[in-house]
Amino acid sequence: MIRVVLFAAVLLGGFDVAARAQDAPPGDAGAGKRLYLATGCFYCHGRVGQGGAYNREAPSLAKTAVPYLGFKLQLRNPGGDMPAYAENVMSEKDLADIYAFLQGLPGRREPKDLAILND
Amino acid sequence: MLLVKPLEPDETAPIAQRLDAPWMRRDTLRKQHNTPHPRWWRQYRGEQTVRKRRDDKPVVGRRNFLKGAGLVGAAALTPAAAKAQAIAPKVNLKAALPGPAQLAADTLPPTKDSVTQSSSGGDFMVDVFRSLDIDYLAMNCASSFRGLHEAVLNHGKNVKPEILTCPHEEIAVHMGQGYAKMEGKPLAMICHGVVGLQHATMAMYNAWCDRVPVIVFGGNIVEANKRAPGAEWVHSAIDPGAIVRDFVKWDDQPTSLQHFAESFVRAYKIAMTPPMGPVFLSLDAELQENPIHEAETLRIPKLARVVPPQADSGSTAELARMLVAAESPVLLCDRLARTPAGMARLIELAETLQCAVVDNAGRMNFPSRHPLNQTGRRGAVISQADVVLAIEVNELWGALNVFSDRIVRTSRPMTKKDAKIVTLGTRDLYMKSNYQDFGRYQDVDMAIAGDGEASLPALINEVKRLVDAGRKSAFEARGKRLAAARLAMIEQAKADATMGWDSSPITTARMCAEVWAQIKDEDWSLVGNGIRITWPHRLWNFDKSYRWNGGSGGAGIGYTAPASLGAALANKRHGRLTLNFNGDGDLMFVPSTLWTAAHHRIPMLYIVHNNRAYHQEVMYLQAMANRRGRGINDVTIGTTLTDPNVDYATVARGFGVYGEGPITDPKDLGPALKRAIAVVKRGEPALIDVVTDPR
Repeated sequence: MIRVVLFAAVLLGGFDVAARAQDAPPGDAGAGKRLYLATGCFYCHGRVGQGGAYNREAPSLAKTAVPYLGFKLQLRNPGGDMPAYAENVMSEKDLADIYAFLQGLPGRREPKDLAILND
Repeated sequence: MLLVKPLEPDETAPIAQRLDAPWMRRDTLRKQHNTPHPRWWRQYRGEQTVRKRRDDKPVVGRRNFLKGAGLVGAAALTPAAAKAQAIAPKVNLKAALPGPAQLAADTLPPTKDSVTQSSSGGDFMVDVFRSLDIDYLAMNCASSFRGLHEAVLNHGKNVKPEILTCPHEEIAVHMGQGYAKMEGKPLAMICHGVVGLQHATMAMYNAWCDRVPVIVFGGNIVEANKRAPGAEWVHSAIDPGAIVRDFVKWDDQPTSLQHFAESFVRAYKIAMTPPMGPVFLSLDAELQENPIHEAETLRIPKLARVVPPQADSGSTAELARMLVAAESPVLLCDRLARTPAGMARLIELAETLQCAVVDNAGRMNFPSRHPLNQTGRRGAVISQADVVLAIEVNELWGALNVFSDRIVRTSRPMTKKDAKIVTLGTRDLYMKSNYQDFGRYQDVDMAIAGDGEASLPALINEVKRLVDAGRKSAFEARGKRLAAARLAMIEQAKADATMGWDSSPITTARMCAEVWAQIKDEDWSLVGNGIRITWPHRLWNFDKSYRWNGGSGGAGIGYTAPASLGAALANKRHGRLTLNFNGDGDLMFVPSTLWTAAHHRIPMLYIVHNNRAYHQEVMYLQAMANRRGRGINDVTIGTTLTDPNVDYATVARGFGVYGEGPITDPKDLGPALKRAIAVVKRGEPALIDVVTDPR
């Protein structure tokens, strides 16, 4: 239920970047990148958090608008087909590091700045 | 995409009149010029076969002599016996008593069997191929069909059918699958007895699941006493069709040439009747190899194509009423378009209703950038729909329900409780039991039997008849909302594609954007896509019936490379630029497809989506490890294609195909594509190996 509320809040724009930053514990983005690649997050979500697919579409995670609490809930007890990351395989610190890495990714650019996307 | 082509009008004429049938022509000439039939013919028909020596003394053929007078001949070997013969009572012998010449001949070593023949069953078979306008015979050569193989070369001059040399039977069948979806008619393939057919089976299963006609032949030696010791025994079966009967529409093992002709025409007709599918004929080697014995009575039957069944008028009218009255109807399609008309008809229906279309892309059903194409919002539009019309949808339950792959597997419907679901298609008309490609049973409110494409014109007319001014106004407002959503989806796709734009490995979005930049002004045709995310359909403008031809059907890996080549073969005559995104795992199953591409000069651009893994399996394995809370870092063992990394460009060059790569820097991709496309436009295959992100 908490997860539903959190995601609904995200969809309704209830969290902004500042709120995400305040919400998240401090993390090491460099360590987060190593974990993100080593533990297979990128298998479904892409090496730069661009999103991908497992059984269904796997969302983009670069600069995710999901607050840290929602992010943690999704990893520990995920909805959909996403595999769960229990604490014995991914610690609280690991989560914080990965979250910091995701927030530091460049994310989307302006398509108009890339000529071949403007056909 | 499947274009039904009529045969020549003179289908009913006897073979001698409409085909270049040498034995028939010779027979006519013999009658005209009073020339006797050859000896094998007369022997077969029980006529006396008296040969003339060069000195013009008649010699009775040894076989006939032995047939009637063997014992007498044997007795004549001694003078006493010869004396006894003179006083023996007269007996009713079939052959004349042997004279001195015959006696002399009989004391000589036995005459050899004929070493040449002037006709062959294979020749007749080739003419049946021609009567059905079969352009190609894909094969991996084998002794069990050497009789047909030789006839294709020397009787048929390797034209209709032309042989396609394939290093694996799976390649041959898959080429047929890709070809048929693009050209609208089947090609044929032939495989060796038992082992060749076993190689072909997975591809036949893909074609079966994809509802695509491929005509598969297999060699066999039916009569046990005709098989040589060794390989001919292990490559023969009493019922070869049993290997594939679960996933072909029909099979047979003809026992005469006339039987062959009728079964081939029947097989063609069955394969091409919706729901289409592969068929199998076992060809007895004796039938292919030996002289024709029944030439005067042989005929090729007339092919009458089955008119695809259409929905009945009552259910069509009821469906039209439901669609016109609905507030949020959705047209859900999968393998709808059999011919170019299919897409045009779906556009007309959607535009008349101004309703959402969700395309499962089993065929080129609907333009990707059409304002009503809501495929990218399938969840939203299906969950809001009050009427869903599913046209030629293979697995409807899967399209209308959300399924969770968890410890306890759960599902929930996407549709509203009161949504009306209607199916239109041939799916319900033909199913088999063993293989479960029909999917879970889906409750529907009305199931209309009829070919989707053939049934649309009547449905469109009925819908148009029912649309009044009020509904038209409502439809226009609905259409505007959908068009706005479609525009937003296109912009979102472009924005999403920018993420990781410069990263290495190259994102699949960047790869697709680079390819689109190179092909958008060409007459292109994408015939395979190993990228799990549908970036081409999100970013590119699929606006013609040949821009796309669907997937494998059975999800059997090893489809993309050869099926794409089959489609490229069909596209070659139309001058289209054919390309695919070939998964590296798929290419590893059938890399020798590249040799076939080079050997037959088939222009085709292979872009290897090289994520160095069977990546879906990486994710599945990780899901298992996560579920058990252990070892989540080791899931690449057994699932990845690294150490060593495969250099596909070098592999391609080894097969005689232009190859570039591995390309890891996205900046290098555009120029490499330019060079490769120049090669393809010269009429040759090319391969670009792009090292990519997994998805």
